[in-house]
Amino acid sequence: MAISAATKAATDALAVNRAPVSVGAQEVHRWMQSFTWDFEKNRTKYSTKYKMANDTKEQFKLIAKEYARMESVKDERQFGSLQDVLTRVDAANRVHPKWNESMKVISNFLEVGEYNAIAATGMLWDSATAPEQKNGYLGQVLDEIRHTNQCGYINYYFAKQGQDAAGHNDARRTRAIGPLWKGMKRVFSDGFISGDAVECSINLQLVGEACFTNPLIVAVTEWASANGDEMTPTVFLSIETDELRHMANGYQTVVSIANDEASSKYLNTDLNNAFWTQQKYFTPVLGMMFEYGSHFKVEPWVKTWNRWVYEDWGGIWIGRLGKYGVQSPASLRDAKKDAYWAHHDLFLIAYALWPTGFFRLTLPTAEEAEWYETNYPGWYDMYGKVYEEWRARGCEDPNSGFLPLQWFIENNHPIYIDRVSQVPFCPSYCKGASNLRVLEYNGKKHSFSDQWGERMWLSEPERYECQNIWEQYEGRELSEVIAEGHGVRSDGKTLISQPHTNKDGKLWTLDDIKKIGCVFADPLKAL
Amino acid sequence: MSIEVSGGIRGLTDPVIAAQILAAIPDKPLETQRKMNYFMTPRGKRINEYEVLCCYTQPTPDWIPGGLDWGDWTQKFHGGRPSWSNESTEMRSSDWLKHRDPAFRWHALYVKDKAEEWRYTDRFLKAYSADGMVRSMDPVWRDEVLGDYLGAFGFSEYGLFNSHSSVVRDCLGDTLRMSSAMIGLDKVDNAQMIQMERTFLAKLVPGFPESTDIPKNEWTKGTIFKGSREIVQKIWQETYDWNEILFSGHMIYDPLFGQFVRREFFSRLSSYYGDTLTPFFINQMQLYFSQTKGITTDMFHTCLAADVQFGTYNKRLMHVWADKWMPGTITALKDFMAIFAKLPEIKGVTDKSAIESALNRVFDDWKHDFADPIGYKVDTATLIKTVLSGLK
Repeated sequence: MAISAATKAATDALAVNRAPVSVGAQEVHRWMQSFTWDFEKNRTKYSTKYKMANDTKEQFKLIAKEYARMESVKDERQFGSLQDVLTRVDAANRVHPKWNESMKVISNFLEVGEYNAIAATGMLWDSATAPEQKNGYLGQVLDEIRHTNQCGYINYYFAKQGQDAAGHNDARRTRAIGPLWKGMKRVFSDGFISGDAVECSINLQLVGEACFTNPLIVAVTEWASANGDEMTPTVFLSIETDELRHMANGYQTVVSIANDEASSKYLNTDLNNAFWTQQKYFTPVLGMMFEYGSHFKVEPWVKTWNRWVYEDWGGIWIGRLGKYGVQSPASLRDAKKDAYWAHHDLFLIAYALWPTGFFRLTLPTAEEAEWYETNYPGWYDMYGKVYEEWRARGCEDPNSGFLPLQWFIENNHPIYIDRVSQVPFCPSYCKGASNLRVLEYNGKKHSFSDQWGERMWLSEPERYECQNIWEQYEGRELSEVIAEGHGVRSDGKTLISQPHTNKDGKLWTLDDIKKIGCVFADPLKAL
Repeated sequence: MSIEVSGGIRGLTDPVIAAQILAAIPDKPLETQRKMNYFMTPRGKRINEYEVLCCYTQPTPDWIPGGLDWGDWTQKFHGGRPSWSNESTEMRSSDWLKHRDPAFRWHALYVKDKAEEWRYTDRFLKAYSADGMVRSMDPVWRDEVLGDYLGAFGFSEYGLFNSHSSVVRDCLGDTLRMSSAMIGLDKVDNAQMIQMERTFLAKLVPGFPESTDIPKNEWTKGTIFKGSREIVQKIWQETYDWNEILFSGHMIYDPLFGQFVRREFFSRLSSYYGDTLTPFFINQMQLYFSQTKGITTDMFHTCLAADVQFGTYNKRLMHVWADKWMPGTITALKDFMAIFAKLPEIKGVTDKSAIESALNRVFDDWKHDFADPIGYKVDTATLIKTVLSGLK
């Protein structure tokens, strides 16, 4: 067989240099942009009113195998810590009980967001035309699977090794019973996957990840650690290392549409809607989980919020996008007001509805009440004295026959649910900015708590008609609902949820709830 | 002490805080059921870690079979289309969450395998280059077949990769969503490995073209991959049913066309032309093919064809889809036959009888692994005859 000139050259080259040669990831990635080709029907299956540019680049430039190497190294560190040293020091049994309960919610609800982000970034992978941009979204698809598994691992670890497995071991089944679930689905599930693909990217990457994952995934680790939990920082900080790439994907999404003149017509409205959607849930829920779900406090939530949301995101991050015509959302001002009181309003309602949870809640102790009053002057007069009344009426004791929900009914403070955000609110007893608005549509009444959600409803009501828990449970007795939603422990009668974390306190059972005879009613029917 | 702590004080190690925490912890665990997802039905005897970490992460309501949630979607598409819906596929299931990756790979296990493959690839390439093994490679095989046609086949893999995007968005099950993303990543990995081999050859063989221009021209304008290109484009962009995308790509096209090209053409022939490099990469692709086959046959055979309520209907639909996608796949193979005229002939290796034997292996495997389990009747001899008519 004749040797070609090229083969001879290869032979000659080897004679001069016998050093081993390989191929680096970047040497492959630089050809990525040429991997696609034009054909007549090459278009996305998910329509968008924006036009994504064909030549958009990604910032991290990974190929499949290099991605796997990077993540595998991180996994080794993370799972090594969890399975070795943290297990040997029995770390799961050195976590404050209040925080053990909070992680039932935080980890599972973050899992929902991560899971839905798999589908969301699948949609973006489909929508992008540039191969590099597709590649960036693909990396995120895989990351979101990783994060889903990691969040599950937290609950798995706490269930297997911790002090109260109930709720950790079945959160995926019992989470749907209570009032926090539908709002979670709005921000972390449907908000990421249902709509214009770029609008979903704005929800997921520009707001959810660039704004709220900082408090949700980073700030939470300080609170966890202060309360004895070293598992959550180990896992969540590993998750956060991937979030940087996701924020870059969001940035590149904006870059990819920046040159399209039509973008300026829609982008800021979509950003404002996305920001309000995300903050409407996360501002109160995160504040509630941090402050009311811990014993040892790191700092008032309003400070955390101001630093991460208002200054870092609303100022610096959005400021960087200013050259592409992006402006800080108009609703940021109203959100700042929510950051002060909304989580206190929500905890009052969440505690009143404690039997529908999959976690134990705890009334503020005297020293916590002092901390709240110091950091939120006026807290005692609004909330502290109510908690004292509830405690005096025996709300923690199953023999008392008292559920705090009765207090709302007795005092004529109906609890409504905002149709667009699915977040419960009590307009007649709150310090936050909620005020009741009621509209009729399709023969039904719909309640709203703010102008921004109401605007979204008025322009596209068909997107937000989801029934709420009052409508779902109307006329049904509370213990029946709990039993149907599997809200009991393995003895078949003791509730997973409890109104205290006192280790000597009695635990409520289905029978205790049944004796009270609490029946769900839809407050909108009374209007 | 104050309940406000700062400066990175840790409750696990600070003695004062740790003592307070320990005093608050119950004397014995409050719950004896420690198994996460204890309520689910495992595929094997016990719930394994993969099932703990992946199953029921999908928050669908119970009107999508298998879901644990209730009610409607909290936000829908413009116009009111739901987030996920049974209408997104013609297939029917009594439990969309039933699928399992037979290898039970969750993310950490998946990337661990691929990371090892990457490290081994790096070591192999260094050894191959230092050993001068490229000197024995036939120049026609190297410059034309690997440079042009292997490069062009990379576009088939890249197109199939992209067909997974809408599956990852639309499918109705958690384990299937994760599996689909992984087999999609494997496909782009294949495309990248092909370019990696070409870049590697360009480093070793002065003048070997690293650019994707020639392979892309072959893929988009040439005749050898014309049928392949047309069917890949249909799978990627003209098919909206996510089950049909998986079925057409992984149950018809790739087990026939992909298998022939990878296993029976590049892998089988390479050693005859002094090429020990290409099999290294093809073997990784074949591993991915094998793992993908496990995933898609679990979905289509174990779950959908055997569904107690909808199995008969699903099998009928699979037959319809097989009828729909077979002709294009046969055309792709027939077009590909023209590549043999480009090769220096080796008797018993590249002649018609050897090609026919290779086709028989591919079609026999396909019939055994894919067609028979769903009762799909196929005359492989006639199909092979049609394919062979493409030989020049």
